[in-house]
Amino acid sequence: MNRRLTLTALILAAPALASTAEAAPGSWRGTIYMSAADYAPNFPGVKKESQLKVFQQIADEYEKLYPGIKIRFHNQPIPDTNTMIRVKAAAGELFDVYWAQAYSLNSTLPKGVAVDLAPAFKQPNAYIPGNKAWQDVMDKAQLAEGRNPSGAVYTLSGDKVAYTIFYNKDLLKKVGITKAPATWPELIAASKKLQAAGIFPMHAVPAYPWWSRHFLTDFYSKDYAKLTGYDGLPGQSPLDEAVAIHKGILTPKDDRFMSWWPVMKQFTDTWPKDYLTADPAKNYDAFQDFVGQKEAMLYEGSYKVREMLDAGVKFPVGAFNFPKLSKNESKYTTGVNTANAYSGTGGFQFAMSTPLANKTMREKGKPEAVLDWMRFFGTPKNLQRLTTEQGTYAPTWPGTSVKLALSNFDSGAITSQIKLPERSIGAQTASANLGWVDMQRIFGLYLSGNITLDQAKAQAQTVLDRAAQDYARKNKVDLSKY
Amino acid sequence: MTAVPGFRPGSSPRRDTLARLRRGWPAYLFLLPTLLLVGYFSYYPAYIAVTRAFTDWDGLNVPNFTGVENFQRAVSDPVMGQATLNMAIWVVLGLILALLPPLLISELIFHLRGRRRQYAYRTLFVIPIVIPSLVLLLVWGSFYRSDGLLNTLLGSVGLGGLRHDWLSDPGTALYSLIFLGFPYVDAFNFLLLYAGLQGIPQDVFDAAKIDGATGWRRVLRVDLPLLRPQLGLIAVLAIIGNVQYFISPLVLTSGGPGFATTVPALLMYFTATRDGEYGYAMAIAVLLMILVVALTGLSRWISRGSR
Repeated sequence: MNRRLTLTALILAAPALASTAEAAPGSWRGTIYMSAADYAPNFPGVKKESQLKVFQQIADEYEKLYPGIKIRFHNQPIPDTNTMIRVKAAAGELFDVYWAQAYSLNSTLPKGVAVDLAPAFKQPNAYIPGNKAWQDVMDKAQLAEGRNPSGAVYTLSGDKVAYTIFYNKDLLKKVGITKAPATWPELIAASKKLQAAGIFPMHAVPAYPWWSRHFLTDFYSKDYAKLTGYDGLPGQSPLDEAVAIHKGILTPKDDRFMSWWPVMKQFTDTWPKDYLTADPAKNYDAFQDFVGQKEAMLYEGSYKVREMLDAGVKFPVGAFNFPKLSKNESKYTTGVNTANAYSGTGGFQFAMSTPLANKTMREKGKPEAVLDWMRFFGTPKNLQRLTTEQGTYAPTWPGTSVKLALSNFDSGAITSQIKLPERSIGAQTASANLGWVDMQRIFGLYLSGNITLDQAKAQAQTVLDRAAQDYARKNKVDLSKY
Repeated sequence: MTAVPGFRPGSSPRRDTLARLRRGWPAYLFLLPTLLLVGYFSYYPAYIAVTRAFTDWDGLNVPNFTGVENFQRAVSDPVMGQATLNMAIWVVLGLILALLPPLLISELIFHLRGRRRQYAYRTLFVIPIVIPSLVLLLVWGSFYRSDGLLNTLLGSVGLGGLRHDWLSDPGTALYSLIFLGFPYVDAFNFLLLYAGLQGIPQDVFDAAKIDGATGWRRVLRVDLPLLRPQLGLIAVLAIIGNVQYFISPLVLTSGGPGFATTVPALLMYFTATRDGEYGYAMAIAVLLMILVVALTGLSRWISRGSR
């Protein structure tokens, strides 16, 4: 009982510690363990020329500044991050700093695995000259979208993934296509050509959260300000989503909401059905078909380029962005370019463990020291250094610039979409598993021809209503007041 | 007063137990490490599951008691209903697959002439046991693909009309998972039945022969009744195994399409590992435990009742 009280006190104290921390590690000395995921330096098994060094350099600079503090990076693969976090936290052995999805920390991961960094973000970061509040250098929309309904922010986020359609140039050439599709009809025509030639145009799980954002951002573009403004913050937060669902805007009650499903089905009808009804996690298997030259196109994130190189892809790979739609595809299109609509948070997304999840954080002064290390590497300058070297993620903080280093891959499409204004509308985060599980299941059943559009609408309405209710109940929010 | 013949003065059961413990302490001492390990690694987790099924435990924080809320949620969840129906189909068909093919093969091999030949065939059916089950699952997953072996075979023998999206059609996905692993001869079940046949005295077979019980008649009248203990054990293990099984839906279909291959054990797994709702997952586990006990009891009762 006493132990529980102590732990509770420590958890409650953690944000306070963060908010009062000075821009120095204090007197604590020891080793800080960090799981840096895609930014991990000197990762075993990676080709020498692909090895990352920058994070180690940053750590060396910090160690030089504060003798007695050591930074150690975890260098083992983590196949399932959330399971790792749960298991290590239950044992009280979570890394001091670790990569985690803000979305997971806000929904399915247990409370108490990560420190609320919001108070620290409001404080100045002494490692950024002239800084008044650390959050001033961050991307405001990203910060708002990662915010927990309680106001807590569990991750230091600084980059994003650019999603594009990679294609095997040889396979397209084989069917006489020498220019990447630029419009929806061209994409369908190319897919039909490939299908007729016995080549899979695509063979993957059509991830609802990814594809839906391109269409919804277009169809609802005139309502963008309204749909992202319920919480008074930039970007679309889970609260914005829940309110829009509650109002019937982001539901089948609004004709725009699912009018794109038949458009998408035109495309997926040219794919084999194996993955249409599968779980998005199966896209790891689907990727093998692209590597094995069984499928011609692959809709994925910019991080996939490194995986292609690691998998030994030798064939020429190009990329084109999600095409602009015309009135021929949908009467609801507004002609907005939504290539940049789905930008997943990326590799620079770090959380700090609590004393409950990591026993070593109970050492006097360690939380301040760990936070200071985060302040040190969490500067625009270091973010730029890290993203430039890693080469597949786009930094989001104002003043940083995208420098993709994607080997000999032509990154023109990704570079051009990143320049587009960041606007994104979706219906996936109002409750845990809404987009990736519940809507995905209905989407898959419809695309594979197992249910009609009307059946899909009825099921989607049920799922969305439940999501909005769950959000309101869990966060004690009256959605009708918005 | 004369002593009543056959009547011993009563002794307290507690004293008996203590006396037994005193007499056999070395044996109990040797058993102690095993008992401790079994207690900690088998009974303690079960105790945790039962007690935390009544809480909102998230796997990390102090659980709050929620009464029977998790159980109410489980029995009123339509997905659980679909999953239970899937499991029922799986248990029934799985039971048939666990009993019939091994029985058929063990009978055939047992009737082969020549010990060496019997040994060779026996080995042939047991060797696949060394292949990890996950490898088999992935191989079968590739068989079921739209461009997989099954559709290719159907096309090549002129049955192209039967080609199918086996795992992405809700109508076939569950049966595709149940019926993967042809020829369904589980090595353990096969060896159990084969050993059972070997254990039947030759005199019995000779007597049956004189009475005219040969071929199928002998199998039905002699072998099956005498194999009842083995068949009963296989049935119990198959029921327990199939109620708890979720590996192939997890690896190949994630419970889809829709919920066509979702079974309660998979729901339990997802609820815990994906959704982080350990309390609810443990309630599902407790319900499964009760079901296993009930079905096991029922199968034992049926096999006893027919003796």
